[in-house]
Amino acid sequence: MSATPDVDYSRITLLETIRRQGKEWDTLAPRYGVTNPNPPWKTSLVGMCDCLATGGSLPALDRRKAEDELGNAVYSEVPAPERELLALVHTMLSRGLVTEGELAARMRTVRSRLEVV
Amino acid sequence: MSTGHTHDDHDHDHGHEHPAAPMVDEITDYEILEIAVRELAIEHGLFTAEDHRRFTEWAESVGPINGSRLVAKAWTDPAFKALVLEDGVKACKEGLGLDWAEPTGFGTPSDYTNFVVLENTPTLHHIIVCTLCSCYPRPILGMSPEWYRTTNYRRRLVRWPREVLAEFGLIVPPEVEIRVEDSNQKCRFMVLPVRPEGTENWTEEQLTAIVTRDCMIGVALPRPGRTADVHPIHKARRPVESSQRAAE
Amino acid sequence: MTANEIPKASGAAPRFKVGDRVRVRQMPNMFYTRTQSYVRGVIGTIAARTYKDLIPEEDAFNYDGKVEQYYIVRFRQKDLWEEYPFDNDTLQTESPEHWLEPA
Repeated sequence: MSATPDVDYSRITLLETIRRQGKEWDTLAPRYGVTNPNPPWKTSLVGMCDCLATGGSLPALDRRKAEDELGNAVYSEVPAPERELLALVHTMLSRGLVTEGELAARMRTVRSRLEVV
Repeated sequence: MSTGHTHDDHDHDHGHEHPAAPMVDEITDYEILEIAVRELAIEHGLFTAEDHRRFTEWAESVGPINGSRLVAKAWTDPAFKALVLEDGVKACKEGLGLDWAEPTGFGTPSDYTNFVVLENTPTLHHIIVCTLCSCYPRPILGMSPEWYRTTNYRRRLVRWPREVLAEFGLIVPPEVEIRVEDSNQKCRFMVLPVRPEGTENWTEEQLTAIVTRDCMIGVALPRPGRTADVHPIHKARRPVESSQRAAE
Repeated sequence: MTANEIPKASGAAPRFKVGDRVRVRQMPNMFYTRTQSYVRGVIGTIAARTYKDLIPEEDAFNYDGKVEQYYIVRFRQKDLWEEYPFDNDTLQTESPEHWLEPA
C-alpha cells in the first residue's frame, strides 16, 4: 500500500541550464536541413523508460504522472521529446536515483569523450 | 486544440526507416544528458546495458506500417478479419509475424499481451485514449504521437469527443455512435476502420497506403488519396500584412 | 512474478457475463488506482471479459495475491457527463471485478 511520492516542482539548476540553451531538435533540425522527425537519442530514451519500469525503479504510471505535472508546470515551454527527457531526469533526481553532482560531472566526461576528433 | 504541425503529425512513410538524412552538426546537452543519466543508471544497477540495448532495438523496430498491413489484410480476407476480432495477438503473429511477447517473452512493461481490435461500422465509430498515462499499442503502431500524450487530449477526449475530433477535421454525424475507449488497464486497442468507397479491387499494398496511424487511433477516416496524417491549420488565404510587420 | 506474467491459475469463476448491468463501486481514494473518478457510482454494461490477472497491490485493502477477472464495461456518455447532448455515444473502459457490483 505504497503512496506515490509527490512531485517536486523545485527547479533543478543543471536542468535549467540545459533548458535555457534552447537547443531542441525542433529548432536545430530545420537549421541543418535534417528531415528525421526525432533526435537520435529518442529511442534510447524510450528504452531507458522501459528498463526503469521493468526493474521497478520507476513504474510507468509514476513516471508519466510526474511527466504530466512537470510538463505543465516547470517545462511547459519545452517541446517533446526534450520535455520528456527533462521530466524523466527531474523525477530520477527527486527520487535520489541519481544525484545532480554526479550527473553534471558525467556530462562533462561524456562531452569531452564525444568531442575528441 | 491547437496541435500545430509537429514532427509526429507527418507520417508520410508510415514508420519506415527515414532515409539517412545528415545529423545535426553539433552535440547538444540533451544528447549528452541522455547518455550521462543512462550510464549512471546502469552503474547504480537500475538496469543492465544489455536490457537497455534490447528495449532500444525493439523501440526502433516498431512503427505503424504493421497496423496498416493488418487493416488491409482484414479488409481483403474475411477469415483473417474474423481472427483479428477474435484474437488480436494471434492475428498479429500469424498475419504479420509480429510477436506481442517481444522483447522479453512477456511483452513490454507498458504494452503487455492483450491486443483488442475495435471494429468500426457505418453506425459505430471508435476513438482511443488513455486518460491515465497515454498507453498505446506500440508493438503494432510504434511510438505514440505527441498530441496523444498531452493532458489536453486525454482530459478532453472523454468528455467532448466530437469537439476534439472536429479539431482533427473529422465531423461525425450525430446518429453515428461515437465510442470512446479509455485503455486504463492492460488491454491495448486499435481501430479497424470501415473500408472506404472507391477502393474496390485495390491490392493490399494500395490499401495499406491509405491506412494511416490517425485512422487506427480513430481521429481520421481512410479514403483514397489520403496517405499522410496532416492536421488542419486553416491558414488564412489572405494573411493580414501590416506595415509595422514589414518594417521589422 | 513480474507484472507481465499473467498467472495460469484460474482463480474464482468470473462473477459477471457479457450483458450484465453493473455499477462501479465507490471506494475510498486512499490508494493509487487505475479506476477513474468519472466512472465511480455509474451503472454500465459488461461488454467483454478480457483476461484474468492479479489485483494491483496498491489497489486493494486486503492484497491477497489472488487472481480475478477483468472486464470491459460500457457506459452511456449521458450517464457520465451532465448535459452530454448526443444520445447514442458511449464510453468503454476496463475494470477488475472487485470494483464492480451488480446493478
